[in-house]
Amino acid sequence: MLKDITIGQYLPGESFLHKLDPRTKIIAVIIYMISLFIVNNFWGLGAMLVLSLAVVLISRIPLKFFFRGIKAIVFIILLTVVLQMFMTPGEPLWEFGFLKITKEGVRQAVFMGTRLVLLVSVTSILTLTTTPISLTDGIETLLKPFQKIGVPAHELAMMMTIALRFIPTLIEETDKIMKAQSARGADFESGNLLERAKAMIPLLVPLFLNAIKRADELALAMEARCYHGGDGRTRMKALQYESRDAIAGAFCLCMAAGAFLTRLL
Amino acid sequence: MSLEMKHVFYTYQEGSPAESHALQDICLNINEGEFLGIVGHTGSGKSTLIQHLNGLLKPSKGEVLIDGININQKEAKAQRKELRMRVGLVFQYPEYQLFEETVELDIGFGPRNMGLKESEVTARVQEAMALLKLDYKTLRKQSPFDLSGGQKRKVAIAGVLAMKPKYLVLDEPTAGLDPRGREEFLEQLQTLHQQGMTIIMVSHSMDDMARYAQRMIVMDHGQIQLEGKPHEIFSQPEKLLQIGLDVPSLTKLLLELKQRGLDVRTDLFEPEAVKDEIMRVIKEKDGRGIC
Repeated sequence: MLKDITIGQYLPGESFLHKLDPRTKIIAVIIYMISLFIVNNFWGLGAMLVLSLAVVLISRIPLKFFFRGIKAIVFIILLTVVLQMFMTPGEPLWEFGFLKITKEGVRQAVFMGTRLVLLVSVTSILTLTTTPISLTDGIETLLKPFQKIGVPAHELAMMMTIALRFIPTLIEETDKIMKAQSARGADFESGNLLERAKAMIPLLVPLFLNAIKRADELALAMEARCYHGGDGRTRMKALQYESRDAIAGAFCLCMAAGAFLTRLL
Repeated sequence: MSLEMKHVFYTYQEGSPAESHALQDICLNINEGEFLGIVGHTGSGKSTLIQHLNGLLKPSKGEVLIDGININQKEAKAQRKELRMRVGLVFQYPEYQLFEETVELDIGFGPRNMGLKESEVTARVQEAMALLKLDYKTLRKQSPFDLSGGQKRKVAIAGVLAMKPKYLVLDEPTAGLDPRGREEFLEQLQTLHQQGMTIIMVSHSMDDMARYAQRMIVMDHGQIQLEGKPHEIFSQPEKLLQIGLDVPSLTKLLLELKQRGLDVRTDLFEPEAVKDEIMRVIKEKDGRGIC
C-alpha cells in the first residue's frame, strides 16, 4: 500500500527531458495545463493525446509508472466522469426515472476524463524527470520576482525541499513501526471503521513523536551549519538555460497557439 | 520443533530499475533451545531474513515453516496471528515503537492483543519486567517517554517478552547502549536462553558472538556464506575479512602477532585459550634463547 505513493518520485535517467532546465519544465507544464483546458473539440483533444504520448516516450520512463499514478486517483476520475455524464443538461440519450444521460454529458465526461488522465501523467513526468532539489531550485528562481510583493520565495522552496526530502523517510518509518507493532499482535487490516481508527494509535503516536524530534534535530543541524535564510546564499549548481530549453520553449508556444486555434475553428 | 527456511528468495521492488535481491536461496534450520548468531555487514540481508521468520515479509519464492507449518500458505490464515506470536521479534531501536501512556500499558499491549484476561496480562507484565530487572512498582505508572534510553529499550523488549514467545529474534539489541547496559543485557539474554528460550540475535559485535552464540551464520549479498560453531567460523579469518567483517579482538591480536613473525594459532578467541597460546609461544622462544 505504501509503495504506491509516487508523489515526488524521481527516476534517474539521461533523456532529453531529464536534462532540461527545471524552470523550463515547470513553465512548460503550466502552459500544457492551460492548453489542455483551452482545447474544446475532439481534434484538439486528440492532438493533445498524441502530443502527451510523444512526451511520455521521449522521457523513456516505463509506462507502468504512469498507470500507478493514475490508479491512485482512479476514484476521483470515475466520480468526475459519472457526475459529468448525469448532471450536464441537454439532449437526452437515455432516461430512467430522474436519471438521464445527455449527449452533452457524454461529451463532457469524455473530455474531463481524458483531461484528468493527461494532467496526472504529464505532471508526474515533471517530478519523475527532475530531482526534488533542482525542482525546488527552479521554483525558487521562478518566484524570485514576486519577492518584492512579499512572497517568501526562499522559505517556500526550503520548506518544499525538506518536505520532499522526508517523504521517503516517513514512509520507511511508518513501515517499520507498522511491522514492529504487528509483531506485537497489532492488527491494522481488519475490524470496522472505529476499530481501525483505534488501531492507528500505536502507529501514529511514535510516528509523530519521531517526526517532531527529527524536525528539532534538523533545525539544530542547519543552525550548526550557519543557515540563516536565503539572503546572500550562493549555489553550487547555478541554473543555466541551454539551447535545448529554447527548443522545448518554442515547442510549448506552438502547442499553446495550436490550442487557441482549435477554439477559433 | 523448529524454525525452518527452505530455499527462500526475496526481491525488493520486483520489476523496477531499483530491483534488488535481498535474499537468495536461503536454507536455514533453527532448532528449539538454540542460541543462533547472525552476522553480516549493513545491507547483507540480515534484517530481511529475520522479518521472514514471523511472516512479516513473504518470500518471493520458497517456504518459511514455524514448527512445521508454512506461515504463508492460505490454509494457515486463521492460524497466522497465533503463529506469528510464537516468534517474538525485537526490531533495531525498539524504543521507537513505544506509544502508551504508562509502562504497564505498553508492555501489556502484546498480551492484550493475544486476547488474554486482564489478570493474566498483569501477571505477564510483571514477569517480563522481572526478567529484565525493571522494577514493577516504581515504573508501572510512569510514562515510557520519561525513561532513560537504556530503560526505554528494556521496556520495549519486555513488551515482546510478555507475549512469551518460543523463539526470540533480536536485531542488534545492544546498538546504542553504553558498555555496562550492554553487558547487563547480554547476561539477561543468556539467562533467558538457559531457561529454555530459543534466541536468534543479529549483531555486529564478533566479541559478543564469540561469547554467547552456539551457532553462527555469516551473511553476504543475501546469501549464507559461512555457517558453523563460532570457533569454526573464526578459524577462517581471511574469509571474514574478505567479506568486510571483523574477527573477535583477541583473534585479531593473534593475527597481528603472526604477522610479526610469531608462530601462533589464529583460530582462538576465548581469553583463557588465547593467553595460554601466547604463553606457550613465548616459552618456546625462551627455550631457544632468542628473546
